[in-house]
Amino acid sequence: MPSVNTRAFFSKTGRAKYISHLDLSGVVIRAMKRTKLPIWQTEGFNPRTYVTFMLPLSLGQEGLHEAMDFRLTEDVPYSEVRDRLNAALPPDIRVTEITVPKDKNTDITAARYRIQSSADPEKLRALCTQEQINVEKRTKKGSTTVDLKPLMTDVELSGDILEVTLPAGNSFNINPSLLFEAYSAQFGEPVKRLNIVRTHIYSGDREFE
Amino acid sequence: MSDTNKEMMARLDEFLLEVQKPSRYIGGEHGAVIKDRSQVDIRFAFCFPDTYEIGMSHLGMKILYGLKNAVPNYWCERVFMPLPDMEEQMRRRNIPLYALESLDPIKDFDFIGFTLQYEMSYTNILEMLDLAGVPVLAKDRTGLTPIVMAGGPCVCNPEPLADFFDFFAIGEGEEMNLEFMRLMEQCKKEGATRQEFLRRAAQIEGIYVPSLYDVDYNQDGTVKSITPKDGAPAKVTKRIIKDFDKVYTPDNFVVPFTQIVHDRAVVEVLRGCIRGCRFCQAGFIYRPYREKNKDTILANTKALCDNTGYDEVSLSSLSTGDYKDIVGLLSDLTDYTTAEKINLSLPSLRIDRFSDEVVKKITDVRKSGLTFAPEGGTQRIRDVINKNVTEQNVMDSVRTAFEGGYTNIKLYFMMGLPTETLEDIKGVYDLARAVIEEFYATPNHAKGRPGVAVSLSTFIPKPFTPFEFEPQLDEASVRERQRYLKTINTDRKITISYPSYELSLIEAVLARGDRRLGKAVYLAWQKGCKLDGWDEHFKFDAWIEAIKECGLDPAFYANRRRSYDEVAPWSHIDMLVSREFLIEENKRAHLGLTTPNCREKCSNCGVAKCVGGDVCRAIR
Repeated sequence: MPSVNTRAFFSKTGRAKYISHLDLSGVVIRAMKRTKLPIWQTEGFNPRTYVTFMLPLSLGQEGLHEAMDFRLTEDVPYSEVRDRLNAALPPDIRVTEITVPKDKNTDITAARYRIQSSADPEKLRALCTQEQINVEKRTKKGSTTVDLKPLMTDVELSGDILEVTLPAGNSFNINPSLLFEAYSAQFGEPVKRLNIVRTHIYSGDREFE
Repeated sequence: MSDTNKEMMARLDEFLLEVQKPSRYIGGEHGAVIKDRSQVDIRFAFCFPDTYEIGMSHLGMKILYGLKNAVPNYWCERVFMPLPDMEEQMRRRNIPLYALESLDPIKDFDFIGFTLQYEMSYTNILEMLDLAGVPVLAKDRTGLTPIVMAGGPCVCNPEPLADFFDFFAIGEGEEMNLEFMRLMEQCKKEGATRQEFLRRAAQIEGIYVPSLYDVDYNQDGTVKSITPKDGAPAKVTKRIIKDFDKVYTPDNFVVPFTQIVHDRAVVEVLRGCIRGCRFCQAGFIYRPYREKNKDTILANTKALCDNTGYDEVSLSSLSTGDYKDIVGLLSDLTDYTTAEKINLSLPSLRIDRFSDEVVKKITDVRKSGLTFAPEGGTQRIRDVINKNVTEQNVMDSVRTAFEGGYTNIKLYFMMGLPTETLEDIKGVYDLARAVIEEFYATPNHAKGRPGVAVSLSTFIPKPFTPFEFEPQLDEASVRERQRYLKTINTDRKITISYPSYELSLIEAVLARGDRRLGKAVYLAWQKGCKLDGWDEHFKFDAWIEAIKECGLDPAFYANRRRSYDEVAPWSHIDMLVSREFLIEENKRAHLGLTTPNCREKCSNCGVAKCVGGDVCRAIR
């Protein structure tokens, strides 16, 4: 049987949020080896379990519905794939669903975040409602100024929790921490506590599938 | 509740992103053991006094971690030395040193146990205790717990640390650890005091309670006598596992999130060494030589690879090539590893075994360079140190390497070996030259320029070796020999490096030190010494200052010849190898006489007498 592209949705929370994107593939590959599932490996002198992550998650941020792709070389029921992966993964990485991929990673357009912070709710509300929110965005090529205001959609503020949808994807991605850099710059006070959870990944106006 | 310390997690969340590689400070890895606190009676904080990357590579820690956690009501957790950026944050925020599994502060544990792998980690121990909020001096600790203890190779002379520890566990820990944990379980039930616990612990074979011994000194500063009290034994005899094949072996490791120094499965194949190289402490203190059965090793390899997901496994021992049925072992192992696409590596191969066909076949050829350790430059000095390797062995090995496509060879030597002259130093250069010539003489050598990197470290005499009586070479002579080698080396294909002399001096002082050095260790730590094993953190001047402020002289410990009848600071510790044997071996060294290895002929080191001839007979 030819290998079949397979997608796992997973959460990465708690202690696992300190696993860097670079280390994550090593952690997952070893877990896959432990499962003994028929997962496709690259050919050649140094065979390597093939797994790709759809959208990198910043160090320190949690994700509830992250996606990674790999290939199965034999037919295994998806519920069994999920259970065997969960038995082998570190406790704070949980596979929630195994699916046949519908979208490509280039189809990702946005992501939604739930952010609990020590920022003053009133000041944060004032920041989110002003005309422009200009902030320095650092990229590989240097830094540019972006206005976050038009990029933020479905903003919801309740108590110390902010929910917001921002552009995401491999070509243009906005890290929600930028908003809090803008906050610090504007009010001259650091945000001591910042728990960012990526709750959804979108492909256009629907969930990434 | 089996969940972790949420309050600590929240406090760590506030700053962990500001430190380098935060995943090493948070636990939660695959294989980490989490238990329900309410079901646990004894908690043990296993402290490795170095960084996560180094400590997590250590097999001994994995063995004892698994062993203790196999007991349902004992919980053993891991603790490592935080790097300065993390430590600074912890101190600023009043976060006490915590264990990685529960994130609970270790000051509330029953045991805080350190492994003493090398002398230059001693100040880290003080730093870790202090960071934990535990008094560093044993006399300042009052309640029954925490008991601060240590094991590992350096406890064969634990005297410089006597002030800081409640007890030391001498020898192999697999049985002893459970015995003293059971004693604690009992003492807690009875409401016993710390002193009662220690008095009773001293009755367990292999447990050394330093506060139960008085040390007196002679006018000249040497030890006069060591007197036990409160029923403690006059000699503490190291423990060994007699049925080594049946000893507890972990079938799972904690698999780190981030890369560590040795990031692979490790399988122990044998303990002890048959060789008896006279400079090598491990070669004497780990006697007797014992092997595991081939099937045990194979089963352990399979279980570990299955449970960890590692695709590399290495065989661990002092000299894997000495395994009796090495050919059979490797052929069984390679059958498995080849089928599973697992890399097998053999890090501890003696030069004289490298050219063996089978060994050649499996030796990882993807590395860019190879390292050999002839240790001495001439046959004469190699005979003195009983390193039974000939120049022909070295040449055969490098030829094999050159035929295998290598162009660069690393050679390890020691400087300052007993009886050494400039002739032996010249021999180092000559051997390096000969390796270069061998490259050109090897048909089908790889394209490119050959290179030999010579590393010449300063020899450090260690207790329980035939060289424990020897002076370390003084600084002026070290510099002179270094200069000499520099002037005769005109070949740009040979590079010579000298690991820090300063570091080796402090290590020499601590290795054969007595109790009075405890003050110096304390002072050095107060002057900011920590992470001494790291060049960028090592503060030589502070160490020298500290030693001198205690009225002590580094040369007294490092550079003095000790007479055969001097009372060694460690003479109440019995590592089974007899003092008579060490003296005999020292004499033979000065005569340039080699001693056959244990497989060829028993040299009556004294171990067989203590453990019963059966254990040693298995060698042959």
